Amino acid sequence: MMKINQPYFILNLSPWPILMALNTFNLMISNIMIMNFKFNMMSLMNMFMIISISILWWRDVIRESTFQGNHNFYIMNLIKFSMILFIISEMFLFISFFWNFLHNSLAPSIELGLNWPPKNINFFNPLLIPLLNTIILLTSSFTVTLTHLYLLNNSKKKTIIFMNLTIILSIYFLMLQMLEYNQATFTFSDSIFGSSFYMATGFHGLHVIIGTIFLMINLLRMMKLHFSFIHHISFELAAWYWHFIDIIWLFLYMTFYWWNN
Amino acid sequence: MVLEVDGVKLETAPWDPRFPNTNQTKYCYQSFLDYQRCKKIRGEEFDACQYYKRVSKSICPNAWIDKWNTQIEENRFPGNI
Repeated sequence: MMKINQPYFILNLSPWPILMALNTFNLMISNIMIMNFKFNMMSLMNMFMIISISILWWRDVIRESTFQGNHNFYIMNLIKFSMILFIISEMFLFISFFWNFLHNSLAPSIELGLNWPPKNINFFNPLLIPLLNTIILLTSSFTVTLTHLYLLNNSKKKTIIFMNLTIILSIYFLMLQMLEYNQATFTFSDSIFGSSFYMATGFHGLHVIIGTIFLMINLLRMMKLHFSFIHHISFELAAWYWHFIDIIWLFLYMTFYWWNN
Repeated sequence: MVLEVDGVKLETAPWDPRFPNTNQTKYCYQSFLDYQRCKKIRGEEFDACQYYKRVSKSICPNAWIDKWNTQIEENRFPGNI
């Protein structure tokens, strides 16, 4: 039973934390299996396990918050601060990619002939697809803000319209990015240039995929009327994450695409 | 630096303020590159090119110069000559 003389929600016993921890360890081992032995079955099974555990864990959180009403304003604050810490740690992940890129491009090594970009690298024009991608992501940030506005105004129809628009824009972004990867004349293994470029933009793309799934789940929850205009923390966190991805893209565009050319 | 020992003039690469660090890898590479560029424009015998040749010979390890010469022969040298 929950004690009523303190504001915190005491969690029920749950198998997901220990299972997730074991699977995260397994992820490391399976990555070693891919890199050393080209054995990727283990990684695929591990991804399946991690996705299943995530779905079940978040299902439990939705049950605790929406259906049992255990997320009061203290808990909401804790969740918001956890998200802020998570986003800061993600920022440092990307700072490491920017550091790698600037370290290698500002003083190119002699193996590249002191050239940046290295000889025979035909980089794409940053004013074509990348600029369009920038516009798409900025627009999707705008539509996600409109979604928030209409959610606060209790207007369900407009909320869902703009949420759909945001998701369509993010999928459009991903498709354009895929097209550009397909058409690129250099690969991941083409010197430090290809490695740093695909590492950074690929991780950004992965984050866009994660953010899109986050938004899609929020759309479903909106349609099922899980949110009220005073309690919609899941949507707020998705919007923060989306803005974070947008800002990362702006920096990626400025350094990796524009300045690089 | 120029040093005279028993009437023999010993010469090595001078201090270059573009490369102030202990690691002189880029001094070596830049001199090699400058020699190749000079050679391309003025020919191997041109007087001013001999300076870069001497500097790269005294700073670069012989193995590196061999490697780069092979790369130039096989047309896969990464520098802009």
